[in-house]
Amino acid sequence: MKRAGAFLSGPLGAVVLVVVLMSIAMMIAGTSPADGFRALILGSLGGRSQLGETLVATTALLFPSLGVAFAFRAGLFNIGAEGQLLVGGMLAGAAGAAFVMPPFAAIVMMLALGAVGGGLWGAIAGWMKAKLHASEIISTLMLNFVALYVTLYLVSGPLKGPAATGAETAWLPTSYWLPTLISHTRLSIALLLAVAIAVALQFLFARTVFGYDLRAAGEAPEAARRNGVNLPRLTWLALAISGAIAGIGGATIVTGELHRFNTQLSPGYGFIAIAVALVGDLDPIKVCFASFLFGILEAGGLAMQASAQVPKDAIHVIEGLIILVLAARRYVAQRSERVAEAAASV
Amino acid sequence: MTELLVTLLLLTLVKSAPIIYAALGGVISERSGVINIGLEGMMAAGAFAAVVASYFANDGIVGLVAGVAAGAFVGLVLAIAAPKFKVDQIVAGTGINLICAGGAAYGLVLIFNQPGASRTVPPLGGINIPHLNMNLGEAILIALAFALAIALHWVLYRTPWGLRVRATGENPLAVKSAGLDPLRFRLLAVTASGALAGLGGAFLSIGELSIYSDGMTAGRGFIALAAVIFGRWTPLGAMGAAIVFGLFEALQDVLQGRFAWLPADALSALPYIAALVALAGITGRVRAPASDGVPY
Repeated sequence: MKRAGAFLSGPLGAVVLVVVLMSIAMMIAGTSPADGFRALILGSLGGRSQLGETLVATTALLFPSLGVAFAFRAGLFNIGAEGQLLVGGMLAGAAGAAFVMPPFAAIVMMLALGAVGGGLWGAIAGWMKAKLHASEIISTLMLNFVALYVTLYLVSGPLKGPAATGAETAWLPTSYWLPTLISHTRLSIALLLAVAIAVALQFLFARTVFGYDLRAAGEAPEAARRNGVNLPRLTWLALAISGAIAGIGGATIVTGELHRFNTQLSPGYGFIAIAVALVGDLDPIKVCFASFLFGILEAGGLAMQASAQVPKDAIHVIEGLIILVLAARRYVAQRSERVAEAAASV
Repeated sequence: MTELLVTLLLLTLVKSAPIIYAALGGVISERSGVINIGLEGMMAAGAFAAVVASYFANDGIVGLVAGVAAGAFVGLVLAIAAPKFKVDQIVAGTGINLICAGGAAYGLVLIFNQPGASRTVPPLGGINIPHLNMNLGEAILIALAFALAIALHWVLYRTPWGLRVRATGENPLAVKSAGLDPLRFRLLAVTASGALAGLGGAFLSIGELSIYSDGMTAGRGFIALAAVIFGRWTPLGAMGAAIVFGLFEALQDVLQGRFAWLPADALSALPYIAALVALAGITGRVRAPASDGVPY
């Protein structure tokens, strides 16, 4: 029983779980799993453009997933990646549309502003946790909606593009678009940036004092505190960095995919990221592979709906079920609990 | 002017009711020590099940019962997943939200053969009440929301059962040493929480309207969580906060047409900002139950 639990909560178990659940969802919809999976696989990996779309979804998921995993490792819940994506994307889109500068500088500026926006959004929750002992769970959750409505307000009025018909910023000039990674696809070099961040995080956790302190704060906050780790400072820094990573993701969606900002930037990537982070064992490199798995689901789901008549929403049911099953890994909860105790005793 | 005020008042009642139901669900769950992030999903489950049952039974009352039952079922799933197996409550709640929203969208296609929205189904209905611009079923559900808030307040603060639920949220071990099973209280409280959220969802789909559409809960489950905090974890406080948030919503509806300059979207952020302010302790001391969110 214990072994079954361990298997199910591992990445391979997640794949098995997905296959079983997907089969059920397909059969309910009156499609044989063979046809359904053929549609799903062909639609996500069957050709250059399909693979491109899968990797676009992978990239969009990878940034917030790395952010969420980063906070988890420090014993903190960041369920605000959705809002951090939006704020980062909005700052990037607004600045990109407003300023004329050399293309390379513009792209760097937009990515940096994405980090600033997402980081600021995370830092608010971090500051509230460190200084006011306000649960980061609730604050990050609430900040999602503040981000949604504030950005919606801004792009419906003050920041609305002069020629835009909907609530969105003006189009970015083509020279400000992130270069394409695979020609004839929508995949931009954002994928490389995300993987580079994953590698950097891996190095940070494995080789640096800061990374060690973060893990210590997550796993044994009281011991960390007695060793001179400044837990409140670490708390707000961890949430700020977590938000910044998601915010860069928002900026890359703007410069690499939408080429303008609107609030439809993320169809729930910030929440799905929680599943991705857990499937990836909170390990930056494994999170990359988990993002790819979820990217296949996201991109293949559309194809499955079109050619096998299985509603694509089944994908979200399955992602939710994965979260529910993987949540059984208690250590995340225990870490947060310990952090809460330590923060209260500071 | 009077007419406008009356419209606003009535609309506030209509908009408050579903938030009150979900917020009461939030209060009872958190008082027992479980943070119910899944309220939004439970509302969606209730709203969707109500429409489906009403469609097949051709009867709004059956729909209402189904909505409550569906919410309670999802509550039970969280109750079993979170407090019993110590699965993390927050992660599980997030999963539940994805499952319910996705499941309803999936079900819409399978049952009604159309994405986005269901067909029109029999609403709760009843006779139309003159001057109120609502039907009897809707009016009864609105009154019930207020009655339940008072009842739950009484139950939590004046009955042994309420004391035990609150004790479970503060210190489950103390409940255990009194010879009672804290898990049983959490199971009951979270299931009841789901039932209340389901009722709120059913109000949206077959009380106020007669249709389910994707995303119709529109964050009300999260607004309810905000109401719980703003209302300082008491049923009457949460009800008061829910009325204020309902007023925000009604104000947007009423004023938007008349005053185009009003930043309606910015107003939508107010409930969440209010919750953050309350959480930050700027409005005075607020305290969550001591073992809120801590697995037992």
